[in-house]
Amino acid sequence: MRRAGQCLLWLVGLAAVGAPWLAPNSPDRSFPDRLYAPPGGYAYAQRMVSRLNRRFEDDLNQPVSLHWFTDGRLVTVPESGGGPLLLLGADAFGRDTFSRLLYGARASLALALVATAIALLLGALIGGAAGFAGGLVDEVLSRLTDFVLVLPAIYVALALRAVMPLVLPPATVFALLTLIFALVGWPIVARGMRTIVASEREREYIAAGIALGATRWRLLSRHLLPAAAGYLAVQATLLLPAFILAEATLSYVGLGFPDSVPTWGTMLQDAANMSLVADAPWMLAPAAAIFVVVLGVNLVVQGEPDVHTSLF
Amino acid sequence: MLNFVARRIAFAVLLVVVVSSASLLLARLAPGDVTAQLGPFASASEIAGTRARFDLDRTPLGQLGVWLSRAVRFEFGDSFLYNRPVRGLVVRAAANTAVLAVVALVAATVIGIPLGVISGSRQGLLAGVIRGVSLVFLSIPPLLTSLLLVFLAAVTRWFPAGGMTSVNASSLDWPAWLFDVAAHLPLPALALALPIAATFERLQSQSMSETLRQPFALAAVARGLSPRDVVLRHAWRASVRPICGIYGLAIGALLSGSFVVEFVTAWPGLGRLMYEALRARDIYLVAGCAAMGGLFLAAGSVIGDLLLAAADPRLRDAGVAKAGQART
Amino acid sequence: MGVSLALLGAIFFVIRGRPGAPPAASAARRGGQIVASIRAEPRSFNRLVARDLTTETLTMLTQGRLVRINRATFELEPWLAESWESSADGRVHTLHLRPGVTWSDGTPFTAADVLFTLQAAYDPKVESVLAETLLAGGLRIRAAAPDPQTVVLTFAAPSGPGLRLLDGLPILPKHKLGAALAAGTFGMAWTSATPPAEMVGTGPFVVREYQPGQRVILERNQRYWREGVDGEPLPYLDRIVLEIVPEQNAELLRLQSGETDLSNSELRPEDYVPVRRAEEQGTLRLIELGVGPDADAFWFCLKPEVKGKDPRFAFVSRPEFRQAISHAVDREMFAETVFLGAAVPVWGPITPGNDLWFSPDVPRYFHDDARARALLAGLGLEDRNGNGVVEDANGTEARFTVITQQGIGWYERGTQVLREELARIGIALDIAPLEFGAMIQRMLACDYDAIYFRPVATDLDPAGNMDFWLSSGSAHLWNMSQRVPGTEWERRIDTLMLEQSASIDAGRRRQQFMLVQQIVAENLPVLYFAAPRMYFAHSARLQGVVPSVQRPPVLWNADSLSVSE
Repeated sequence: MRRAGQCLLWLVGLAAVGAPWLAPNSPDRSFPDRLYAPPGGYAYAQRMVSRLNRRFEDDLNQPVSLHWFTDGRLVTVPESGGGPLLLLGADAFGRDTFSRLLYGARASLALALVATAIALLLGALIGGAAGFAGGLVDEVLSRLTDFVLVLPAIYVALALRAVMPLVLPPATVFALLTLIFALVGWPIVARGMRTIVASEREREYIAAGIALGATRWRLLSRHLLPAAAGYLAVQATLLLPAFILAEATLSYVGLGFPDSVPTWGTMLQDAANMSLVADAPWMLAPAAAIFVVVLGVNLVVQGEPDVHTSLF
Repeated sequence: MLNFVARRIAFAVLLVVVVSSASLLLARLAPGDVTAQLGPFASASEIAGTRARFDLDRTPLGQLGVWLSRAVRFEFGDSFLYNRPVRGLVVRAAANTAVLAVVALVAATVIGIPLGVISGSRQGLLAGVIRGVSLVFLSIPPLLTSLLLVFLAAVTRWFPAGGMTSVNASSLDWPAWLFDVAAHLPLPALALALPIAATFERLQSQSMSETLRQPFALAAVARGLSPRDVVLRHAWRASVRPICGIYGLAIGALLSGSFVVEFVTAWPGLGRLMYEALRARDIYLVAGCAAMGGLFLAAGSVIGDLLLAAADPRLRDAGVAKAGQART
Repeated sequence: MGVSLALLGAIFFVIRGRPGAPPAASAARRGGQIVASIRAEPRSFNRLVARDLTTETLTMLTQGRLVRINRATFELEPWLAESWESSADGRVHTLHLRPGVTWSDGTPFTAADVLFTLQAAYDPKVESVLAETLLAGGLRIRAAAPDPQTVVLTFAAPSGPGLRLLDGLPILPKHKLGAALAAGTFGMAWTSATPPAEMVGTGPFVVREYQPGQRVILERNQRYWREGVDGEPLPYLDRIVLEIVPEQNAELLRLQSGETDLSNSELRPEDYVPVRRAEEQGTLRLIELGVGPDADAFWFCLKPEVKGKDPRFAFVSRPEFRQAISHAVDREMFAETVFLGAAVPVWGPITPGNDLWFSPDVPRYFHDDARARALLAGLGLEDRNGNGVVEDANGTEARFTVITQQGIGWYERGTQVLREELARIGIALDIAPLEFGAMIQRMLACDYDAIYFRPVATDLDPAGNMDFWLSSGSAHLWNMSQRVPGTEWERRIDTLMLEQSASIDAGRRRQQFMLVQQIVAENLPVLYFAAPRMYFAHSARLQGVVPSVQRPPVLWNADSLSVSE
């Protein structure tokens, strides 16, 4: 199972890295005659029948030939040859959903992975310290956690946005979003971490360790943190999709990536029009992609054949 | 124990004050203010009047001082959007959200924990399916989950596609009214509960499988207890701890309302009120909602700790008295 | 008032004039209720101090005015005033009130109520949002009541719109609100927190209950004065429920499910397909309202006090620069792409949807990239360093940040298409979608390069939009509230518009407004590309619908609506 998870993640990673080669079209190229077009263009050229009715049909008189390994792309269909090739249809701007999905993996995954890592680290340290130290330290850290949890993060984002220039380069957006996500995410981790460490601390082996003169740091890093490893792994699978999706929320207050950088979160926002999605289920492709990533991560962190299976 | 409770109450009050003050200040510092709601071309005197009415002509700290001095008398200012005192609005919205939160929490618990126990204690197709479904719900944004449910409701007409009561609710007697509200509950409650149930399931599953690897579980099986008994009687109790920490969080989060779910399903709750307030820069309504949210979160945190004490004999016996100083 | 801005689909709008329903078909059924969805809470029940769409809709349902502009035919119709005579110079109007009209509590409606309402609208303490709309030639209307059934209105100057000005003014009850006005608290009277029983009206419905966050329930006004063509007292409906559904996708789903009968706002182009399908299944009716009276606009901030030191101002302030942009945009393609084809190309602020004032003779800029490049070259703008963006002799690039409202599909598509079109002639646009409040703040402070947005004209008659046309106006988008006209052509527009609005000769008004449109077309302070067609849907059981391109599209005619069953 773990191997299957690894395979999935490698696959997604390769798709992200190889996006320029794998994508049949440029991700921000719009085809004005393909607004909301269904998948097509691989056998026959697509033709728009009615734009408002979103009706398209295959032009049986114009079969297309796939161009393999041309233009630095794996496969594509030039517009002159009956293109574009739309493997997953087109979005509201007539852009190729499949290509955007591949490119979207880059920003979405990088952002979510980095932010999750930082949130886990911060949460583990702060929660661990609170649970291990107890007393006043615990009190202060726990209340700090509570405070950050209820703070209306959207205002923090708005205030931040106000002091930034109007047009932000993607790198700045990336750094900002990572920061915000990490700040919002750590208290959630810290909560459970504190609980685990606090109750683990009461166990005999820790008391023994203290009696034997083990340092606090050693106990924390060698015994208490590993005890919480399973918990942290699950938190990773919970935070990862949450962060991928949260990017879309922050783009609402103007803290998103510019539209030339596709992300899965913002792509999914287009799917909010349910009546539309019923006709165009491929708009849910980003959700499927997120699912694959989360499944992969989940299989890797939890997929090991469990010891207890021998019990039953 | 008393000491513990008293301290937590004191902290709750502090938290509420700090959070609502911070929200008020942040609302002042964010670009734009409530006068944008008057329209872009409102007259200067109209704008000035509105600014004065909401103390926006004071410095941010001055405004905070005025607000706090009124808040100690339980006067939280007026809402611009609703033209009435914030207090009544927030209390009513909080009550609506509380109803929803309780139902959603129960649903999430009843769905999530048992499924987590199952998927954590066995392997095979069933466990795989449960895990898969959980991951699906974690991969869909709450906005889509809610809209999907509204869509289902609209297509199937199994339950109303939004709102808290029917249009003729005010003419109903109270049992009929209760029934009416109950008919409107499943949609938003499910929208809230499904992602939380998925979270519970994942946490419980991981914790359960870890617990079963511990020596005492093996020992129990060795003693000849049936696997079923080991899981249900012994392991579950030990494995439920990490959930308790998150449980408090879930209670707090549910009670302070989910704006997405309440917005999409038109449930008149705290989350939607807060969202509307944020969007309109309705400053006192923002502060009032934040105060209520803070209160609920503090309450959730206390409940989580109490659950924890109940679930973990070591913490309970080592004394909540000790816990009082050791870990709040 | 002039120009307002549409916010997230719902919140601001203002009246333009038109109603007058061909009253419902003879077999209209009495009784029943309809549920209409609205996006936002009412700001107030007092139209004199609030201008949001929900307040405006509620006012149409609960209050009457002296005369009404039929929103389907654009004709002026007698309403609370049964008839009137106007003097030859158009300055004195004698209105005869309809006899036997009473308020919903039974108190007779008289001329005193009319005088009271005008007094309240002009009272500086009330700060009424309607005060500006009730000026004739910039001056207040004087009113007198020789007897309880007659009102004499005297305009200080002749007014082009004439009595049409009164369409927007709901007549309020003196016996209920007189004390508040005297006490200086009128602005706080009839807020959304006022118990509905305290409010009375002469409209077809009365507010029965307001449940914040949920709905407003209106019931038939038993004392409503109007009769249908069948001689039956109106309204046909017993109740109208305005259900608050804040989310647009959910609003459509509830309409499709039959839980609501209509929505108070128009459909998005994306919604056309599902609604068409529902129509084929017989559950909904899809109505095409035709081209809307407003178009998306694109403009630069041209305020010299703010932008004067910006090196780009040297060329942005030149009309040739903006003409080049106008030439560069393929408007047919723009309408197709941005509005899925449900739009027509436009070249100025007046769209074909405003049939009274639209003129096809206004100069147009045909799509011609070569001509656009030549215009830029004439300004010394050429791509000197080969990076695809034109620079002037000092090396200042023609690169601009265009702000727009976040989260609205056609704004996002519009800015994107614009960016691609302008990139071809070497003008670079960066797009910054902002949240509404932040965008308005920047707009008012002139803290932006360019904006893409749809301002909503409040009146189809240009004389009702003086704040847009006059250089001193607060809605003179590109350079608001100037003390003296900053340019020669703005001075000419000021003169023409003041003359035009004070004239009662329709032909002359049209001619002068044509000149204004020509000046605007030459100087292009605001660029327009496409005006969308508007679509609207309601349940199949709703009868007597007379749709209007102005909001509210159906409820303006609420007294003649009925339901089949």
